[in-house]
Amino acid sequence: MTDSTVFEAVRNEIAYAFENTVFFRKHMEDSGLRPEDIKSPEDFLRLPPTSKPHYRRNFPAGVLAKGHTLNSPHVTRFQSSGTSGDRLNSAILAYDLARRQATALGVNHRFDDLWRPGSRPRVCRFAPPNCSDVECATGFSTMEDRTLPDGTLVLTVAHDLLATPEWQVVKALDEIELYQPDLLVVDPTHFAFLTRWARRLGRTITSPRTLHMVCGYTLMTRVARRQIEDFMGPDLPIGDMIGMSELGYLGFECHHGSRHINNQDFYVEFIRDGRPVEAGEMGELYVTTMDDELVPRIRYATGDYFTPLGSTCGCASDLPVVRVEGRDAHMIRLADGRVVTPGAVDAVVGDAPGIDLYKLEQDRTGACAFRYVAGSEARAEDAAALGLRLTRALAPNPLRIEAVDYLAGERSGKFQPCVSHRSADGAR
Amino acid sequence: MTVRNTSRDDFPALRREIDGQTICYLDNAATTLKPRSVIRAISEYYESNGANIHRGKHWLSEEASDAYEASRVLIAGHIGAAANEVVLTRNTSEALNLVASGLDLDPDAYIVGALDAHHSQLLPWRRTGRLELTRVDAHGRLDRDHFRELLRGRPKAVALTHCSNVTGVVHPVKELIAEIRSACDATIVLDAAQSLPHQRISVRELDLDFLAFSMHKMLGPTGVGCLYGRSERLAALRPLAVGGGMVDWVDLDGSVDRRTPYKFETGTPAIASVIGCAAAIRYLEALDAGELHQHEQDLCAALVAGALASPGVRLIGPPDQNDRIALASLRLDKGVPTGEVARLLSDSYGFMVRSGHMCSQPLATELAGGEILRVSAYLYNEVSEIERFYQALEELLTWMGPVAAGAR
Repeated sequence: MTDSTVFEAVRNEIAYAFENTVFFRKHMEDSGLRPEDIKSPEDFLRLPPTSKPHYRRNFPAGVLAKGHTLNSPHVTRFQSSGTSGDRLNSAILAYDLARRQATALGVNHRFDDLWRPGSRPRVCRFAPPNCSDVECATGFSTMEDRTLPDGTLVLTVAHDLLATPEWQVVKALDEIELYQPDLLVVDPTHFAFLTRWARRLGRTITSPRTLHMVCGYTLMTRVARRQIEDFMGPDLPIGDMIGMSELGYLGFECHHGSRHINNQDFYVEFIRDGRPVEAGEMGELYVTTMDDELVPRIRYATGDYFTPLGSTCGCASDLPVVRVEGRDAHMIRLADGRVVTPGAVDAVVGDAPGIDLYKLEQDRTGACAFRYVAGSEARAEDAAALGLRLTRALAPNPLRIEAVDYLAGERSGKFQPCVSHRSADGAR
Repeated sequence: MTVRNTSRDDFPALRREIDGQTICYLDNAATTLKPRSVIRAISEYYESNGANIHRGKHWLSEEASDAYEASRVLIAGHIGAAANEVVLTRNTSEALNLVASGLDLDPDAYIVGALDAHHSQLLPWRRTGRLELTRVDAHGRLDRDHFRELLRGRPKAVALTHCSNVTGVVHPVKELIAEIRSACDATIVLDAAQSLPHQRISVRELDLDFLAFSMHKMLGPTGVGCLYGRSERLAALRPLAVGGGMVDWVDLDGSVDRRTPYKFETGTPAIASVIGCAAAIRYLEALDAGELHQHEQDLCAALVAGALASPGVRLIGPPDQNDRIALASLRLDKGVPTGEVARLLSDSYGFMVRSGHMCSQPLATELAGGEILRVSAYLYNEVSEIERFYQALEELLTWMGPVAAGAR
């Protein structure tokens, strides 16, 4: 699509949202705007962004488009745990999900053979329990109980990942074997945990079909990726998904390892201080849906930060390349004014062969603590070198480094490798 | 309108906004919100004292002990009991477990309960002996003939529930107790967790052996349950736990328990919370009882009328206001997920209501066939909130209904 065609689609979406949703009409009118006022991308910036609280409070009556109900055909309802407890109830049309997924996965040729004409991939999910609308945390439910309407089997795992008992791990491994999936949709931290257990139990994770893996839900750390790749081997196509429950696939990792943003199904902006950022600068991702007839979203501030790199990628995809930075509420804010993103922290930590799991936590005073669970290959000199790198990266703020044998997950079941109570307080 | 001397401003949590929307708290059967005086009493203890009770001779310990015991006196007075007849526990469940296990009944002891019991008044007795449950009718009222029939088996204990946390029905316990006394010499244990917040009870008038309730359901802090026991019955009860604070003397050969109620209170208790309970009792007792009753009736009428008038819901419990508290449990039409509705009522409309089996699964299954939505009001709620709740529910259910025409 040309830029003008894309912007025309955006204008159509604005007009549709204005005409068909109570919330967005009021949102525009409160700013003294009507759809016909938005004639150019510059005009578009006059529209105040929308955000999760708007959609949470107004769901469904204010944001579901006229003519739809939550029981309309192809409507998938969900209740997401959100990040750090910022939960959301929403709905999405199954074919919009599929369209966005197809665009995103299209950047990675290793996923090309996943969808064959006439067949749907068998999907198995191993992710934080609150990310699935089925009871999977207690482990007492059956495979049938945990099979979603689209056929996805949700595997059982405890809310507090590291507290998952052995019998529940064995159950997950057994069910993968039984289900014979084509696609594992996983939280990488969770799946790395499963591989550690599988190794300990002498088990493998395989399928008679060709397995693929999509990683999502939380930042894919290099530490988790290293463990997954080591255990599963080089033949497994792995792709890091950029997504949100309410929108589906916002982007994907190509077969060259770059992250591409889906600007075909969304109009995307990277915004800082109200203005679009230049290539190489970090900005918050705002998305505007295109042709979303159920819950159109205009300038939806995702809370996720990226750096658009402005470069092309050898994979030949036209979708823009970005670097994943992390969520605003997780940014480490230093005394000298610098901000260290979860993505940057992960780059400093690297794939760290001596580490199974880590968490960097900034308290309200600004002090940081880096806690890690050491792996079997841990070496004192590596830990010392990592400590030095982190100290440098986080100076002048104080940093404490601790080896531990347990790290707690969030109540939602997610495990965030980098959190800042200072940023989270500021975000409230 | 709320009750005279009660102001919504007394309850800071009612000012809470989520996503810019003021909340409406209608989950009072689970726990009530706390007035500022209770919050202040707790804070003051921590800010100006903070010492442990009963074991020290220093100033702060004496002061804290005095405040703690003064709270016990107030709680006891509220139910017409003597202070040494009130054991402070963690909650109603612990109080009922203390009685069930402390009676030292034979494993096959015959016990009569009721189908509408909370799990806390059901499971301890099921573990203790051979429990038979009195049936209820379609509206949740006790089947009195069945009750009398069960009493003919001469039970060792009768575990009564004063008010069901599912139907809101308040049972005629005075009549039931009279029937028990004339039929057998069973120990009578009343769960008053749902009734006492709504009406005063005199343990003397009721001729009870034991009564259990929780302060957090009547404006008090969480972490404080109460067990009233008639003096001689309490003295004969075996403590649930042993340890520090419940003994007068310990040597290598044995120990001597303290007198009641202290022999049931081992370990450091929830001192601040117990002190906060005094403020809750004072708050409740300062209210005009007549107005409180009328307000309760108005809330109850609005809850029942709203349920009966709402499409897509079935009221679980009597379709009238007689002998019930301001509580309505609703069964939604088949296929409408109760938990999702509760979550949407909360996040989209600001109504905090309960969903599930209400820790009374046998009754919820029997009367409703599964999960229910429970709306429970208290003295700071207003009739207009109940009306708005039903409007919100009706609107929400239309969005969960069949497809409308005209989609793009």
